[in-house]
Amino acid sequence: MRLSDLSPGETALVVRVGGSGAIHRRLLSIGILPGAIVRAVRVSPLGDPIAYEIRGSFISLRRNEADYVEVEKIVPLHLVPPGSVVKVILVDGGVGFIRNLNRMGLSPGKLVEVLRPCCPMLIRTDAGVFNIGRGMAYRIYVR
Amino acid sequence: MLIALAGNPNTGKSTLFNEITGAHQHIGNWPGVTVEKKEGFVEYEGKRILVVDLPGTYSLTAYSLEELIARNFILEEKPDVVIDVIDSTNLERNLYLLTELMELTDRIVVALNMFDEAKKKYRIDFKKMEKILGIPVIPTIAIRGEGVKELLHATLHGKFSMKKPEYPEDVEKRIKVLEERLKEIMEEHVRWHAIKLIEGDVEVIRKLQRMNAKSIIHLAEHLRHEIEDIYGEDIETVMASFRYSFSHGLFHEVAEPINVGGVTITDMIDHVVAHKIFGIPIFLVIMYLSFNFVFEVAVPFQDAIDLIFNGKNLSGGGKILGLVDISYGWMTTFMPSWLSSFINYGMFRGLGAVLTFTPIIMLLFIILSFLEDSGYLARIAFLMDRIMRKIGMEGRGIISLMLGLGCNVPAIMSTRTLRNEKERKLAMALNPLVPCGARIQVFAFLTSMFFSKNQALVLWSLLILSFVVIAILGYIYSRTIFRGEVEPFVMELPPYRLPTLKGVLIHMWEKSEGFLKKAGTIIIGAAGIIWLLAALPWGVEYGSEASYIGQFAQIIGPFGRLFGLTSQAIIALFFGFFAKEVVIESFTVLFESKAALMVSMTPLQAYSFLLFLLFYTPCVATVATIYQETRSLKFVIFVIFEGFFLAFLFSFLVYNIGVLLGVS
Repeated sequence: MRLSDLSPGETALVVRVGGSGAIHRRLLSIGILPGAIVRAVRVSPLGDPIAYEIRGSFISLRRNEADYVEVEKIVPLHLVPPGSVVKVILVDGGVGFIRNLNRMGLSPGKLVEVLRPCCPMLIRTDAGVFNIGRGMAYRIYVR
Repeated sequence: MLIALAGNPNTGKSTLFNEITGAHQHIGNWPGVTVEKKEGFVEYEGKRILVVDLPGTYSLTAYSLEELIARNFILEEKPDVVIDVIDSTNLERNLYLLTELMELTDRIVVALNMFDEAKKKYRIDFKKMEKILGIPVIPTIAIRGEGVKELLHATLHGKFSMKKPEYPEDVEKRIKVLEERLKEIMEEHVRWHAIKLIEGDVEVIRKLQRMNAKSIIHLAEHLRHEIEDIYGEDIETVMASFRYSFSHGLFHEVAEPINVGGVTITDMIDHVVAHKIFGIPIFLVIMYLSFNFVFEVAVPFQDAIDLIFNGKNLSGGGKILGLVDISYGWMTTFMPSWLSSFINYGMFRGLGAVLTFTPIIMLLFIILSFLEDSGYLARIAFLMDRIMRKIGMEGRGIISLMLGLGCNVPAIMSTRTLRNEKERKLAMALNPLVPCGARIQVFAFLTSMFFSKNQALVLWSLLILSFVVIAILGYIYSRTIFRGEVEPFVMELPPYRLPTLKGVLIHMWEKSEGFLKKAGTIIIGAAGIIWLLAALPWGVEYGSEASYIGQFAQIIGPFGRLFGLTSQAIIALFFGFFAKEVVIESFTVLFESKAALMVSMTPLQAYSFLLFLLFYTPCVATVATIYQETRSLKFVIFVIFEGFFLAFLFSFLVYNIGVLLGVS
């Protein structure tokens, strides 16, 4: 799907950045590149432009510009309702953080079952059952 | 010693610049373009340091004017130190530019600005950052002036042993190959040129073409394709990804997030002011209140300045003398009275006119600075973009049009917020058609006389006509003469910040000073010329029908009558060029009483006059400002021509259709 198809509140992973010349380069330098996490925040009164949150800042893009960005919808773990089993897509953090989560069986590709909603969250992975706090759940993206 | 300030937009770079240089600064344009250039100096430890504020950019590509200016300055002027001003609350994104700067120069000092705000978001270990990068990293809080001394100290005495970010082996070895070849033809910035060549940077390729290095260009092309094949992405994505992974890694090394996922104040404010339904009404209310504030405060000042300069005619027949009268009387004691009259009633009075403009201009600039510094301007752009795009401008264009309702001078200067040159020119060409406060004043005065029953209706008809004309012209211009490449409108919505008084005042003064100095001299000169035409031949009553202006009006009278303009109306319009509100004064000179004025024109003629006044040439101050902003006489003539064309068109149509229909 395209970035412009994202509804406010939804999060996605950037897959490909198309376009050429200035627009292509500008999207990249603002941090929209493959692997980046983008959240649609708000739509302007006439439906265009749209504000996105990207790497901690808010960026306004016109629809025709957001059309160039191919994305894949993902969900931060804290929004996952209890009872569902989801797959970890991405963990957003430094080396230490990633290593810690790895030990809890939370690395890309692994399955997680949510037992109790946030926060703290109770989850089951192939490494066991864990309590995880809000700070962690916000930085784990699943599908 | 020369230092340059680089950084993303909205990092507090300008505030830091102000804190470093204090009052020692100069604002001009970068050569050949309308991008603002700020320079200043500071004395530190007995050394005089020249500081240049580079345009705010997100990267250093060849795709935008600002980015080219910034990188060319570093390449060509070789500043001793580049200070990269980083918004610490937005560390990861800001570090991207740092990685690009590190490819360009070794001597960088990092200013972690807004460090206090960042502490609420994460713990930043700036010492560790210093160690990883091998360059000084200084936390600063520009709005409080904190960290400025440390920054200057680091600039002079800091240790620079930069560890350059490296690309993965596949890329790095290709850069090295190219570097070897480039060393044969250049000595400086070799690695940077190699990287840019691989990236396919158009400017660098052009440079090499000029150096006749075709084989190197081919080699770079070949290496670029190899890299693209290895990674399966276009080269720009590949290189940007590596730079971002470096900044991402560095970010997580030095910053530990606290408090993730909370709702920020900015979020809460935006929830209301950038709302899908309420956003635009709130914007209109804010603008309405701002204007009320401006006029409430400015009018008494204007009246006072006018009184000081021009005195006041008392209703009993006497006169309170103004400075101009007193100075005239004094100068006649030692010079001929015509010369004294020229100096005082011509030029000195012109100075008075400039000064009466200033309160309103300064206040409008305060409003503009407040909108800009608080972050609300970006929201206005977000709300209005779709509408404004129809007339060829991005959302911010609405601001210049709205300020125009106050005064066209600050409105035209505010077009600096438009980044695209074509859009800026378009905005400047349309702005004089917005009826300014002075014209609205004249409309109110004349409609109260000629259309006492339908005053509001007539006034609104003029306002609506001007908006319709602006919309139509904007639509046409943006698709013809001012058609430009559609520039990406990737705009940051910065967090809301309370502007500091100091910041707003500096901002306001920078702009007002420009107007006073440069436009002021042109206005005073024009005032002198107008005086000559209105006062000669010597001995006639100033501005009367016997003066040159009066005679001219008589001669073109028959032509004017085609448009329903009387010869007195033509004289009044002539004075209106000086400043639109002078039209009222001119009528009072030409007619002994209000009753005489009221019978001089039919309502149809009066309406035709109002239409003419709505569109014809902008006043001297506006013309001077347009020239000052564009440095193009051609453009100024175009704007004047456009105004006259519309004025003639509408007066002619309305008057003659009116006559045909038997309205009078």
